[in-house]
Amino acid sequence: MANLPKLTADQVRSIIPAATDVEKLASGGQKLVFRGTLYHKAYALKFALLPAEVESEDAQFTDVATRAAREVEIMRSCSCPYMVKLGPIGLTFVTFEEQNLLYFSEEFITGSSLKTVLATDGPLPASEIVRLGVQIASAIQELWQLGKIHRDIKPANIMRSRENGDYVLLDAGLAFDVAGDSLSAGFLVGTPPYFSPEQFDYSNRRILDFRSDMFSLGVTLYEMGTGQHPFWSRRETSQNVYTKITTFTPQPPSSLAPGIPEALDRVIMRMLGKFPHLRYRRCEQLISALEEVRIN
Amino acid sequence: MPLYAQHGHGKSDKISTAFETGSIQGVVFGARNEKPANLVPYVREIRDTLQAQLLFDPQFYVSTLIPPNDRFLPEYPYYRPGRTAGDFVGARRLSEYARQTLDVQMGLDLDRLIAPSVLFNTFDDRWYQIALNLADASLDYHAGLKDPPPLLLTFAFSEEALDSRSEVDVFLDQVTSWDTKGFYLLIARTEVGYSQYFDKDRLSQLLYLTLVLSIINGFEVVNGYADFCGLLTRAAGATAFATGWSQALRQFHRKSFVRQTPGHRQPRLRYSSGPLFNSILLTELEQISDVGGLGLVLSNVGLDKMIADASSPEASDWNLRTSELHHWETLQSLEGKLSGDPSADFDRVVAWLKTANEIYVALKQAGVVFERYTQGQHIPEWVEGIQLFRSAVSV
Repeated sequence: MANLPKLTADQVRSIIPAATDVEKLASGGQKLVFRGTLYHKAYALKFALLPAEVESEDAQFTDVATRAAREVEIMRSCSCPYMVKLGPIGLTFVTFEEQNLLYFSEEFITGSSLKTVLATDGPLPASEIVRLGVQIASAIQELWQLGKIHRDIKPANIMRSRENGDYVLLDAGLAFDVAGDSLSAGFLVGTPPYFSPEQFDYSNRRILDFRSDMFSLGVTLYEMGTGQHPFWSRRETSQNVYTKITTFTPQPPSSLAPGIPEALDRVIMRMLGKFPHLRYRRCEQLISALEEVRIN
Repeated sequence: MPLYAQHGHGKSDKISTAFETGSIQGVVFGARNEKPANLVPYVREIRDTLQAQLLFDPQFYVSTLIPPNDRFLPEYPYYRPGRTAGDFVGARRLSEYARQTLDVQMGLDLDRLIAPSVLFNTFDDRWYQIALNLADASLDYHAGLKDPPPLLLTFAFSEEALDSRSEVDVFLDQVTSWDTKGFYLLIARTEVGYSQYFDKDRLSQLLYLTLVLSIINGFEVVNGYADFCGLLTRAAGATAFATGWSQALRQFHRKSFVRQTPGHRQPRLRYSSGPLFNSILLTELEQISDVGGLGLVLSNVGLDKMIADASSPEASDWNLRTSELHHWETLQSLEGKLSGDPSADFDRVVAWLKTANEIYVALKQAGVVFERYTQGQHIPEWVEGIQLFRSAVSV
């Protein structure tokens, strides 16, 4: 578990005087998240703790700061409506009560994460699986055009907007920059049950590109369509998860959820190909395949 | 457009004749055997008179072979003999090779451009990395050209490269991420002589590689110097396969591009038998005729008439030119029976191969003696290779 800042809503207000109606939302990964109003609009305010031993002027060079800068840059650059956007506060460093902190604001999506949706409402119908697939594939596509891979696509990182029912991808904090330095050499980053087989490759011999995100989206679609994860259950050890993701072919989603048409089965199973070369070679192809399911 | 002529030494009128009879649908011109000054009018002549897919293999890969059998290649601006790994260091140099090689082709009226490449043995040797870098440089240069024909990236490798499935997977992961029209694949055979034998595991990998590139990822795949084996890659989804008239042009052997000591014997007359999936010697066909088995092995193509009408194969007017044209006719005839559905086509091919095996057994029992490379030992190996492939991909 990463070290998180120790902050209250009142302290956030003193760090960001323009913020009103501040309330704590959640903590996840390396960040503590508050909801706050800035200039009459709600935003998520995200705080991360920088290593105490680092001088404040060197804070921007830490891994935490580099990841946050990458996340902020992605949110700033993406125009896709299915990727969360940066709010009015960009990446900012501050020392507060002996804590070296960074923070930024991002679009606040009113709605529920798919993890919550699954827990409360159960699986989504096939038409919604198609919509989810098309929208998040569009986000993956735009990330890839920026040379980035999200690396942590999962139900908990996708919000369903209460306003229009659209799906929005959150948390590019682990995004991998194809042209940048690796921040994870020798370490596996992300959420293992949603890893692509190539994400388990410590040697970096295997190519990592947008098709890795496509696999994770395939796992998400499978889970959201059937209510069951294709490779993981509560009794699995981490070794089992690795073995299953790299070698086991799950049964087609329609065998668990009869409402899923065969054509959607084929799309999801192809997304779960054990090698990138067995999946779709362009996001456009995946989107077209899903659109075809919708038409038929 | 499935069968192309692999152009090389001694073309005479074979290409135009084969087009007229419908045996081939395209040509892969080879730089080595055509002077640049002759190539332009030759390509234009074919373009103006025939409906054909025209490609040009720059044979850049010969530049790293020592001593090269390169004939007219030194007249092409991109070619220099004796290149070493050091000649491929630096992005600017690779870009220059790509530019020179593709510019030559832009001056011809071709349907596809073929990228320069080098020959490598395995997917983990340094020449493989150079081949990747050259492909990358070719993609970059091609992207900047004004209205170019689509680009095929060349990968020329020894069949040994197919020994490692994990390396094949890494290769496929890499190349399927590229934005190219397709691939021109050359598999350097390890058999010493002209033989249809292909190790079952390697064959299975080659079919897998072809299926992944073509059917799964939608690339064009042209297998050069493919010979009978091209029928299998076609069944696995390849767009086309090319093979030449002489043995050296039918299959890719490294030694064909390396200078040999002078003194070749004249090629012996051959007959390409569709039912046997092999190119056997005319003397063997004579034996088959003697035991009454001619009807079992004839390909049922137009040029067979020459043999069927004669008192015996050796008494016919069968000659080198006929034999060469007949090879394409035979392959075309078999290819024409494929449907484009891999599952149905492999069912069909396996049935043909099983029949071929039975014919071989019957002929041998009747006393026909085949030579080392024509006795059909490739048939069971191919059947097993196909089975391995099919069980791996559920086709």
